[in-house]
Amino acid sequence: MGQLVKVGGYVSTLFNKLVYGDKEVRILVLGLDGAGKTTILYRMQIGEVVSTIPTIGFNVETVTYKNIKFQVWDLGGQTSIRPYWRCYYANTDAVIYVVDSSDRDRIGTSRDELMSMLNEEELRGAALLVLANKQDMKGAMSAAEVSEALGLPRLKNRQWTIFKTNALKGEGLNDGMDWLVNAIKGSK
Amino acid sequence: MFTLVSGAYKYFTRLDEYNVLMLGLDGAGKTALLEKIKHIYTGIPGMPMDKLQPTIGVNIGKVTMKSALVKFMDLGGQKDLRGIWEAYFSDCHAVLFVLDSKHADRLEEAKKVLIELVQAKELEGVPLMVLSNKQDLDDVESLAQIKEMINELADYMYGREVRVMGSSGADGAGVRLAVDWLYNRMVENRIQRPPMASEI
Repeated sequence: MGQLVKVGGYVSTLFNKLVYGDKEVRILVLGLDGAGKTTILYRMQIGEVVSTIPTIGFNVETVTYKNIKFQVWDLGGQTSIRPYWRCYYANTDAVIYVVDSSDRDRIGTSRDELMSMLNEEELRGAALLVLANKQDMKGAMSAAEVSEALGLPRLKNRQWTIFKTNALKGEGLNDGMDWLVNAIKGSK
Repeated sequence: MFTLVSGAYKYFTRLDEYNVLMLGLDGAGKTALLEKIKHIYTGIPGMPMDKLQPTIGVNIGKVTMKSALVKFMDLGGQKDLRGIWEAYFSDCHAVLFVLDSKHADRLEEAKKVLIELVQAKELEGVPLMVLSNKQDLDDVESLAQIKEMINELADYMYGREVRVMGSSGADGAGVRLAVDWLYNRMVENRIQRPPMASEI
């Protein structure tokens, strides 16, 4: 039995190599400042909540999920540094867009940033996973509300979905990652 | 000369691209079918059925068939999400409409949605495959009954190609037959709905 499991492991490693090569899957985590991007990145990587400070510049980590290596870039979300997001667009397989579901005042700004990003040629083939984060906050918008406010239903020619998450508790992140793994596999 | 060569290169490496819309009520099994289609035509194992979540958004699977690229777009089927479908009509070459054969009580609703769908101007003449899904389960509506029901809609179908078949997203039964049928109809219909050009 142990032997068999080992062989199974080799086969799946080989399979992943054939499908993805040795290249890591490149993912950008974007969204306005304070949405929870850095918390999500470290939740994914070490499974813990770390105390974060506003990101100036970026954090980059390698996350292994379902035997696939992801290179995850978490870019700062403050107004002054958003123009630099575009420097990271090349060769991106997927974008995780994080929204603070309790921040109704800035959801419009969030939509504008998302739409101008998706219009970029370099992100044409990238799958989009939207995380409606901070679901633990009072008065948080539902996933449907966030989706409508961001204009997601009007996206064309793109794989997208939305999940509600609570990064502090880790809720919803695995569902999102499962979708992402599958979306990247099927459309490459 | 360069233009000639590069033009010829483009001509020979060009791939026709067809879009298939997968539509139907929520819970009909569209995403599970998409996973099966991806598995059958690409060999990549799909997501296990028990892991699938109701679709909010769009799932896409690309497969190569003969000399064309076929893009399957699985759109969420919940009532509030059906408004999204329309945006995809003008670029689609075929519709795969999925029915839940286990839920006889929702067939009327499905019928209404289908009638509205085939009357959409932008879908005129587009081939339609109706899949009576979940045929692997016990006590399901028989294929004969479903065909009977679709026959009642004959008046709405105008000149389009329509076929009803049984399928199972769980074990993949009927999936290849249905997809191959649709592919051939899309190719036959290419004068009316030319494929898009996709460069390799």
